[in-house]
Amino acid sequence: MATRKKSLLKVIILGDSSVGKTSLMNQYVNKRFSNQYKATIGADFCTKEVVVNDRVVTMQIWDTAGQERFQSLGVAFYRGADCCVLVYDVTAPNSFKNLDSWRDEFLIQASPRDPEHFPFVVLGNKVDLDNRQVSTRRAQQWCQSKNDIPYYETSAKEGINVEMAFQTIAKNALEQEAEAEVINDFPDQIILNSQNNRPGNPDNCQC
Amino acid sequence: MWANVKGSGDAYPPPTGDEAREDDDEVDDDDGCDYKERLIASVKKEVKQLMEEAVTKKYVHEESSSVTSLCCAVESCLSQGLRRRAFGLFKTFSTTALLHKIAKSCPETEHISKLVQEIEAMDPNQALILHMKYLWIRLALYEKRLTKIIEYLVSNASSFYDRDSLVADSDYGSILSSLLVGPCALEFTRAKTADHYWTDPHADELVQRHRISSGRRSSSTCSRPAIINFKRSLNTSSDEASTGSFKSMATASVAKDYVESLHQNAKATLLYGKNNVHVLPKDVAEPMPGYLSLHQHIQTLTIKWTPNQLMNGYNEADEGEDIDKEAFWAYALNINVDEIVYVHCHQSRGEDSGGTVILVGQDGVQRPPIHFPEGGHMQQFLSCLETGLLPHGQLDPPLWSQRGIGKMFLWPKSMRRRILPSVMESVDETPIDYVFRIVSKSRHEEFAATHSILDFVRSTPRRAQLSSCSTTGSSDCSNKSLSIDQYPVESPLLLLQQQHAQNTSIEMVCSTMRRQIISRAFYGWLAYCRHLSTVRTHLSGLVHGRITPEMKADEEGLTKERWQLLNADGVLENATEFYRLVYFGGVQPDLRQEVWPYLLGHYAFGSTREERKKQDETCKHYYETTMSEWLAVDAIVQQREKEKTARAVAKLSSSGSNSGNDRTVRAADLDAGGELENEVFEDISDISDPGDLEFDDEQRQQQQQQHIHGQQQKQKHQQQQQQEEVSVSGMHLCVKPIPRAMKTSTDSGHVDEGENFNELDEEAEQEQQEKINAEPPIASCSTSTASSYETVGPGGAPHQPSDSRSRSVLSPEYLSADDLQLPEDEEEVKPPQQQQQQQQQAAVIITNASVDLANWERSPKAGNSQQMSPVQEQAAALDALQQPKSACASPASSNGGVYSSELLEQFGLNLHRIEKDVQRCDRNYWYFANENLDKLRNVISTYVWEHLDVGYMQGMCDLVAPLLVIFDDESLSYSCFCKLMERMIENFPSGGAMDMHFANMRSLIQILDSEMYDLMDSNGDYTHFYFCYRWFLLDFKRELVYDDVFATWEVIWAAKHIASGHFVLFLALALLETYRDIILSNSMDFTDVIKFFNEMAERHNAQAVLQLARSLVLQLQMIIENK
Repeated sequence: MATRKKSLLKVIILGDSSVGKTSLMNQYVNKRFSNQYKATIGADFCTKEVVVNDRVVTMQIWDTAGQERFQSLGVAFYRGADCCVLVYDVTAPNSFKNLDSWRDEFLIQASPRDPEHFPFVVLGNKVDLDNRQVSTRRAQQWCQSKNDIPYYETSAKEGINVEMAFQTIAKNALEQEAEAEVINDFPDQIILNSQNNRPGNPDNCQC
Repeated sequence: MWANVKGSGDAYPPPTGDEAREDDDEVDDDDGCDYKERLIASVKKEVKQLMEEAVTKKYVHEESSSVTSLCCAVESCLSQGLRRRAFGLFKTFSTTALLHKIAKSCPETEHISKLVQEIEAMDPNQALILHMKYLWIRLALYEKRLTKIIEYLVSNASSFYDRDSLVADSDYGSILSSLLVGPCALEFTRAKTADHYWTDPHADELVQRHRISSGRRSSSTCSRPAIINFKRSLNTSSDEASTGSFKSMATASVAKDYVESLHQNAKATLLYGKNNVHVLPKDVAEPMPGYLSLHQHIQTLTIKWTPNQLMNGYNEADEGEDIDKEAFWAYALNINVDEIVYVHCHQSRGEDSGGTVILVGQDGVQRPPIHFPEGGHMQQFLSCLETGLLPHGQLDPPLWSQRGIGKMFLWPKSMRRRILPSVMESVDETPIDYVFRIVSKSRHEEFAATHSILDFVRSTPRRAQLSSCSTTGSSDCSNKSLSIDQYPVESPLLLLQQQHAQNTSIEMVCSTMRRQIISRAFYGWLAYCRHLSTVRTHLSGLVHGRITPEMKADEEGLTKERWQLLNADGVLENATEFYRLVYFGGVQPDLRQEVWPYLLGHYAFGSTREERKKQDETCKHYYETTMSEWLAVDAIVQQREKEKTARAVAKLSSSGSNSGNDRTVRAADLDAGGELENEVFEDISDISDPGDLEFDDEQRQQQQQQHIHGQQQKQKHQQQQQQEEVSVSGMHLCVKPIPRAMKTSTDSGHVDEGENFNELDEEAEQEQQEKINAEPPIASCSTSTASSYETVGPGGAPHQPSDSRSRSVLSPEYLSADDLQLPEDEEEVKPPQQQQQQQQQAAVIITNASVDLANWERSPKAGNSQQMSPVQEQAAALDALQQPKSACASPASSNGGVYSSELLEQFGLNLHRIEKDVQRCDRNYWYFANENLDKLRNVISTYVWEHLDVGYMQGMCDLVAPLLVIFDDESLSYSCFCKLMERMIENFPSGGAMDMHFANMRSLIQILDSEMYDLMDSNGDYTHFYFCYRWFLLDFKRELVYDDVFATWEVIWAAKHIASGHFVLFLALALLETYRDIILSNSMDFTDVIKFFNEMAERHNAQAVLQLARSLVLQLQMIIENK
């Protein structure tokens, strides 16, 4: 088990529904793009072996359901994450605005040891489309304001920047792991109540 | 063509034209070269992949998928242009035939050919499987001879290949053979290293492996019958314990049988199994890991240990390893417990380091020591052994009664205290060694006297006996002597608590034994009863108490004939029979459209054809009405969307402007689900909340005007009209929806408003008249009506409020009242001031404009609308100006056409989500490939409009889709979907059913499959059962193909009335049980299971799973009935 722990990087992909989380994952892992992905229900994951800093590590990439209603499931999946990928759709401003709540929600549910420095990566997906509505500058500003999150503009369809983005993700996740190992004797995390709907974010959930 | 081929095809004697033409080569001449190019490219790619794998992992596993794909690529190269006819050979495996053909002339090939033949001779079924995986290429690769064989083929291509084939081409041929030099130099391994687990085999591969090793090759993946431990029947087993040496069992088929015999099967019950148990066989230096198992046959108990080398990969044995294998077979242990007299246990002091068990036979010879890994496995083994010895024998002293054992065996805390509750005592002095004697019946004839009791014990489920140990643990006696020479046998019954000296007569010993057996049986029974009562308490709610007789073998569900019989004269009376047929046999596909409404509870049993027709009409009417309501909103939302997009794009293009950047930052901080432009109104809309209604009209106006000015400065690029419009909408939206138009035609519902209106002061009335004048005609034309709504939409199409004051104070009471007051003709006559500007909205279709009061009352009420309505009535009597906001909050449809900003926002968001999910709902299924998506969207939108508090949730699409496919009718699908959602809504995050399902699953598994439960328990992660999430949320819709979804759903619906309202639980359990062995043998953790089932989606054998689920229900029913 010890070896397993070390060589496994758990990466969570979050973002609004239909921003392209599943597509990004599949583009990265299988080098394929399909128009026929269904809305993800529950969660799925893929694994891929990557070489980071001359180390072979296995990335376990978790693809989650996009609707924030299903966030309460998160605690089961977010636990033990080494990196979190926030995805928005450059043609959908709302998906960009929701990054904030996705990030906060992740930090609440995954409760990493060092929330301030937990590695996030932001991906602005669908740059192959014409009707772009969120400017690069705006996204970069947001990322800078959140402790300089690395930002990539990707297209899962065309495979633009996907490889590079995930390489960064792996690298950052590995760094996080290394830090985590130092303080490994931390007691079990407190699991927040996942059954009730959380009171927070009334604005976000108006259903 | 020839010219296209690089190199000289002419170097080889061309085949006769006839041959070339007759060949069944499917490659068209024109793109032959291209095709070859692609073949070579694919080989190249696979070689690269394989070499990369070899480099990164230092080894390549024989079963690695990259090996398989390389073999596949080579195979396709070799079959291209092969002159099959020349051999008169089989259709499918012609390259294998080619191999045999050239075996005579090529020594390299000969060896491989022999190997292949041997394997094929071994077992026809198994060979078939191997065949599919390119057996000979694979073997040649492992043997490092593939390059040579291909070189041979290339140099002799003329005799076997067409002239234009890849192999015959001098360039491609040599490229092919040289490409394979690398892979042929690799070392392939079959051993599983720690890293190997990292390859995470695909679910397919797991199933395939399992199929091979479980010997159920020909059957489907789901053919495994329920093996649920409480149903274990001891008397069906026959003794086939193999006692001989395994040296003679070198052939793979025997080996396979042997490994199969290690599994649970009909002949022997697997009591215990543990991998990585080390045994040190004679003349071996290091202890070897292997699989230890304990099997119960009818009379005997067998301990088997099989080295890992034999457990893995035996099926692909080839000559090279046979020698090794034989050696391993010699190491395997097969011990009949009857021959064993003493069990010596050793454990090092003070730590949980596993333990060693040495079995000593009657002849005094020790068997090789068995080293258990740490974690209480030795204890578990002993307890299983003890259980297995029952009723004919026992461990002496009994495991459960020895307080000292607890001290000796440091039971790990994680282990469930099955055996002895007192074992958790503090450790003061730890004995290191312990010896048990196995007392067997053969030496105690008097056991026969207790035969009736033994029978009872035998018929008691194993689990009960296990738990009996824990029950009796509390009543155990003290013990001092643990040595074997003494017989400190105590009776757990207090009445019989007597110590016997070690030298008492054999009779005395036997009578003690008897009492012990009796007491054991008693406690076994007691524990069984307790166990059952637990089951009853926790699980009886899951199934119906009454067991419906199963269908006879000749029945086959609800067929056309039966349906006609049941549904005589169009009236379906016999509900029970109907459900029974559906539950056990499903519905014939073409009947589903007729039958499903009954199953879903849409049609009542006993209803006549006319009644149903009427019901359908009502539903249709209602559906269309509702749809027209939300379509109106949809129109507004779309318009807003359009503008928003336009603005955002404009903003993006002029991103240099300061305001844009300011907004960006603000937008990021705001969580409001609304659009960007709403930020501007943030302050004012706060003020205009219902709580702050003390402002009088003047103040409000002032504020608004200021606001407009501010906005004008900010957004110069916007038209003034728009600004005004937006400012109004920022406070509240006054929109006249389509329903209002319908409302005017039905006056019954509007008496209240009419009265209210009479109480209004004249000024207000005057304003209203003005307002109305500004309204376009409504009832006249649905299309124009829709556009008129837009004019008042927030940020909507430009319109010209001649009096912004009147607009801003507009309240819904006024609107409704106006509707009443104004005769229809008057409205129509009025000049539509804005109509000319609104040409773009033609998309709205009003299906039915006549609405009765009942429908209005059923109209959706968003949030606080219920509380609001009395307020509204009062408000009408008061100064309406004070109440604008509260009125706006009420849903438009019920009270005269005012949509609040929140409502629009909310529904718009829902529509947006629906659209996104509809667009990607089962597009690969014929029904949704190109059309019918609109229907899907309509049904869901209607549902969401009616249940705005619920809103759209991902998954609804999947639930509507099958209904729509069956009914192909929107309103019927809608009605049935509503029925379906009554149950399903609880599964969504807003409901609590999912957690309940998980808890029930946990209990079910705990009781029905303890082995699985132990696995899950040991992986703490597991217990929340999220891998079942999608199953329950969508009623297995994503797990099965469409036809199976239909079959499964109808059984679920019928099950509610026949067997269990929680049939989904049993389906889930059946799915788990189907792959139980795979899950257990790979000891999958939480993530593995999720991955496995996600990969297995739509590959299950639904009928087998359904059958298993039904039998599981029956089994639980039986337990509860205690039959």
